[in-house]
Amino acid sequence: MSGEAKATTERMFFRQAIRRAVAEEMRRNPAVILLGQDVGAFGGSYREFDGLLAEFGAARVRDTPVAEAAMVGIGAGAAAAGLRPLVSITYMDFLMLGLDPLVNYAAKLCYKTGGRMTAPVVIKTTAGAKGQGVAHSQCLEAWLMGIPGLKVVAPSTPADAYGLLKAALREKGPVVYVDHKRLFPTAGEAPLAESVSPIGVAEIRRHGRDVTIATHAYMTSIVLKAADDLAREGVSCEVIDLRSLAPLDVATISASVRRTGRLLTVEEGQATCGVGVEVAARVRESIGAISSARLGALAAPVSSNPVLEAACIPDAARVATAVRALCGRAVPDR
Amino acid sequence: MIYKITIPEVAPDVEEIRVLEWHGGPGQWFAEGELIVELETHKALVEVRAGQGGVLRQILAEAGDWARIGVPLAVFSDTDDEALPASPGDGADLMVEFVID
Repeated sequence: MSGEAKATTERMFFRQAIRRAVAEEMRRNPAVILLGQDVGAFGGSYREFDGLLAEFGAARVRDTPVAEAAMVGIGAGAAAAGLRPLVSITYMDFLMLGLDPLVNYAAKLCYKTGGRMTAPVVIKTTAGAKGQGVAHSQCLEAWLMGIPGLKVVAPSTPADAYGLLKAALREKGPVVYVDHKRLFPTAGEAPLAESVSPIGVAEIRRHGRDVTIATHAYMTSIVLKAADDLAREGVSCEVIDLRSLAPLDVATISASVRRTGRLLTVEEGQATCGVGVEVAARVRESIGAISSARLGALAAPVSSNPVLEAACIPDAARVATAVRALCGRAVPDR
Repeated sequence: MIYKITIPEVAPDVEEIRVLEWHGGPGQWFAEGELIVELETHKALVEVRAGQGGVLRQILAEAGDWARIGVPLAVFSDTDDEALPASPGDGADLMVEFVID
């Protein structure tokens, strides 16, 4: 190791990347405010807002009642009136209570007013299974991908949590920013210098020749694990972390599939009308017929029973099985 | 007798911790109940307090360092003249109390 090179990154927990993004944007722009359940004195359900109340005060960091429709509605209205609210909806399952103000008002405002008004509200929420049962475990991000005027991002690393949340807080219109619950125990390198990750750009996490696997959020680490296992069998996987679901970076995915000839999509949410269906369709529109497969949760609610939860959602073994089937490879002898 | 401090799974899902601050250096005696080190997990601050008296002999993870769960962070002994083991993992576990903020 050289040891003398100046560090350009620092290691941080996922929640610290979020906190840093929000604190920097609140310092930069006095219009940024934070609304949500337990975001104040408690510091956020995942402690991702620790200390923000002390630094920015109760006028800008506001605890709300358990009333998601009102939280999103107030956020959308405040955004239309000139603020930049970050609304924390603890679980994505409860975002559906706030879909009317988000979808029918915030996402439409710019179009409806001929560009005279916008509603730059950011909804920050969490998705995914982590032992909390049928109505606290869902990945519903695919629902939001077809709303003109709405952007959807989902990081898989602390660096992207930082960069994408900052980008979201500078967008012209509404953004839904989705963290997977299982990312919170993770840590990773994030840039020391202030930076913003552009929305709409996917990241190739692993280069490979035989198959392109497009995934996002926590499933990225599952897919990378499967890619390691498959490499030992001589199958070379290219792994794309979508990062942005709306807009999709079709150019990056298509260029990859053009090289590998095969596409597997992996998501924790339901495969039916899921992220993968849209990814595969867009790639076909871009480069023509391809060989593809999709992997998502079983068509069942996610149980709080850990055995049933694990049975429902994709794991590295299931990803590997799907890749082998797509590539016409036999299951290796153990 | 030689002891070590390792961090068990002090809270659900903790895989990795960061050392925030040591409240003393090598050669220092810690009485039962005294704060030895403060750690940070993905969700909370954790105080590690002595559950028995002992002399801090070696710090294996400095402030700012990251450590996986189960990796020794420090070596203790009953007296300050005991020979240190070749491997810091060889000691028994020092009795400690974890106070989670």
